Amino acid sequence: MAAENTKSILVVGGGISGISTALEAAEVGHEVILVEKNPYLGGRVTQLNKYFPKLCPPNCGLEINFRRIKNNPRIKFYTMAEVEKVSGSEGDFDVTVKLNPRYVNENCTACKACVDVCPYERPNDFNFAMDKTKAVYLPHDFSFPMRYVIDDKYCKKAGCAKCKEACTYNAIDLDMTTRSLSLKVGSIVWATGWSPYDASQIDNIGFGKYQNVITNMMMERLAAQSGPTNGKIVRPSDGKEVSKVVFVQCAGSRDENHLPYCSYVCCLASIKQASYVREQYPDALVTIFYIDIRTPGRYEKVYLKAQKDEKIRFIRGKVADIKEDPETKNLTVTAEDTLSNQKLHEEADLVVLAAGMAPNTRNSKVPADIAYDTDGFIASNTGASGMYASGCALKPLDVYSSVQHSTAAALKAIQSLAGR
Amino acid sequence: MPEQLIKPDLNFVKDIIASGGESLKKCYQCSTCTVVCGVTPDEKPFPRKEMMYAQWGMKDKLISNPDVWLCHQCSDCTAYCPRGAKPGEVLGAIRKMAIKNYSAPSALANMTADPKYLILLFALPVLIFLGIIGSLGHFSDIPRGEDGGIVYSHFIPVPYIDTVFILASAFAVISFFMGIKKYWADMSAGMQLKGNVMDSLKATIVDILSHDRFQKCNVTKDRSTAHMLVFYAFIGLAVTTGWGVLYLYGHEIFGIQGTSLFHFGETPYPLYDPMKIVGNASAFALLLGMLFVTANRMKNAEKAGSGSYFDWLFIVVIFTIVVTGILSEVLRLADVDPIAYIVYFIHLVFIFFLFAYAPFSKMAHMVYRATAMVFARHAQREG
Repeated sequence: MAAENTKSILVVGGGISGISTALEAAEVGHEVILVEKNPYLGGRVTQLNKYFPKLCPPNCGLEINFRRIKNNPRIKFYTMAEVEKVSGSEGDFDVTVKLNPRYVNENCTACKACVDVCPYERPNDFNFAMDKTKAVYLPHDFSFPMRYVIDDKYCKKAGCAKCKEACTYNAIDLDMTTRSLSLKVGSIVWATGWSPYDASQIDNIGFGKYQNVITNMMMERLAAQSGPTNGKIVRPSDGKEVSKVVFVQCAGSRDENHLPYCSYVCCLASIKQASYVREQYPDALVTIFYIDIRTPGRYEKVYLKAQKDEKIRFIRGKVADIKEDPETKNLTVTAEDTLSNQKLHEEADLVVLAAGMAPNTRNSKVPADIAYDTDGFIASNTGASGMYASGCALKPLDVYSSVQHSTAAALKAIQSLAGR
Repeated sequence: MPEQLIKPDLNFVKDIIASGGESLKKCYQCSTCTVVCGVTPDEKPFPRKEMMYAQWGMKDKLISNPDVWLCHQCSDCTAYCPRGAKPGEVLGAIRKMAIKNYSAPSALANMTADPKYLILLFALPVLIFLGIIGSLGHFSDIPRGEDGGIVYSHFIPVPYIDTVFILASAFAVISFFMGIKKYWADMSAGMQLKGNVMDSLKATIVDILSHDRFQKCNVTKDRSTAHMLVFYAFIGLAVTTGWGVLYLYGHEIFGIQGTSLFHFGETPYPLYDPMKIVGNASAFALLLGMLFVTANRMKNAEKAGSGSYFDWLFIVVIFTIVVTGILSEVLRLADVDPIAYIVYFIHLVFIFFLFAYAPFSKMAHMVYRATAMVFARHAQREG
């Protein structure tokens, strides 16, 4: 019989998939270690305004999961943690985890006194740099753990230390350094998730060049109460209200020059976001340019409902050119309406790119010898015994399916340990 | 939309695929191509609809479609195509089939498109010129000029050259005329055309001279300069040819006497003669242009495709003509016997190839594209 600690499971990635995997395994009695690179758990879901299938805000759903984590002594989680090295084999892995310094310890009560005195700012990556935070910041309103963090790229540390003086709880530790953690685990689930495709790579549609061309994930932040505009959808260039919004489907997806595969969620995301616009601006006109609308299974109803809205137009043709009027910052979007065989030049005050899902393993592989598919996703058969993947590390998925895949991954990880 | 019964011509689809459009079936009709195209109009734009017609084997919609010729194969479409369907190459393949379809006799068109018959096509001019040389006994003992230099018109006298090339050109012109007549009729079938076609013709000539459309290319923008060089070099060489005719027959028929500058009379003419200057300048422009054409093709191969047999045959023929042309002159002046005569012989064979097979080779693009451009203007498709 192997040592007791080899019965434990490592889950890499603390998004909805990693959390689900960890909970499923822990709740049947396994020790689980969950490591997350960001200073908070919840991953991409936390950045959404509303999510499928019930169109609820992310704290509905995540809150329950966080409660389950808190109440379960078998789950140990680390934020700001990255797996550096994996050795050994199924049932007996040695894992080295790098713990990046947060500079804020568990004494933090999120009282915000540090923020008030901090003189330095950083672009807020949580909001895709549409606003700024101080160098000491709360990742977002619903952050779990609810604890501040210091961005050492912007903080002057001992050279400033104003926050340390302001903190009455002795929660700030500017001397914190990177630590290393050694783990012994029996199986590993990679739930490394996805990132929005870098739309500036698509050189003909102006992202990064024109301020009012944004991505779908930026739109989620714009529409979210906790976002840079407190939930008001306005133009990034001048903060003006919008009246003509164009959605560009397959911005990078289904394109051999970018992501060759369908990202699965973008059609629904755009239809969902069209409803954000319509709720805030009853007179606004929304145009969705698409190649094929893909709303699989019962999601078809969402599409049918949107089709009935006379202020939402669906035009079959891919947008392949966007130009900006430098005076007004308005945009002209060009596509062919392939059903009427006519090139259209549509005016828009805001353009939303349905940027696809790129697996995080596309650019940086995990530090273990596992197999990937041609698109950079982890292969469903990882080729390494005792290692599995779940969620969007495998393929583009919605939250609902990610959770299902995560349950499956938890079961596989448990099976791998059974009888040892 | 009115109902339409589509009868796919599957052989036509196979032919396009075999002619360099093998990526055709990858198209999923997103129309990125049409949007990035700089030369397509807004109304019924190309090439997305052509890709659909091609996939569905709708031959009639493509062969007589002026749009396939309004395309200048800039390859912006091919570079941005999300599926690697290469619309530029597919339209190139369709153009090749349009040439085959309209140029009579069609057997010759099939032979020009098929590498199998290449030797046979070359055999004709080779035999003609060998016959002439043999009958004159010029395989050896070629008479020299008064100053003892090589004189090509002593090798193959001008009347023989003129007869052969006038016949070859006449054949090409008749074939072109028949093709264009049929093409125009097909394009205008069921259309009400108004206005004066001469106005459209004039405007098109200005278009072609200025290479306006060509300059709207983006990915392969260098092609415009290369093509312009080749185009004006050809005009220069045509002027030179006319000038030569004037020198020779102006003297022989009308008795015009040469001056110290303008050498009316028989070849060869001195290098400082204005006609010689125009001719040599044009030859070098052509060489330079063809070098650019080839370099651009190599450079753009990844984005725009590497081209078909049809394209490369045309390029090789023109290249050989210009290289052997320049070499003929150099070797003649350097008095390199017999290589000079051999090179000159090759030169003549390739010119014959270019002229006689023009209606079937890529040379025909000049006539069909110009016709399509005139028609498009005339039908208010653009302009």
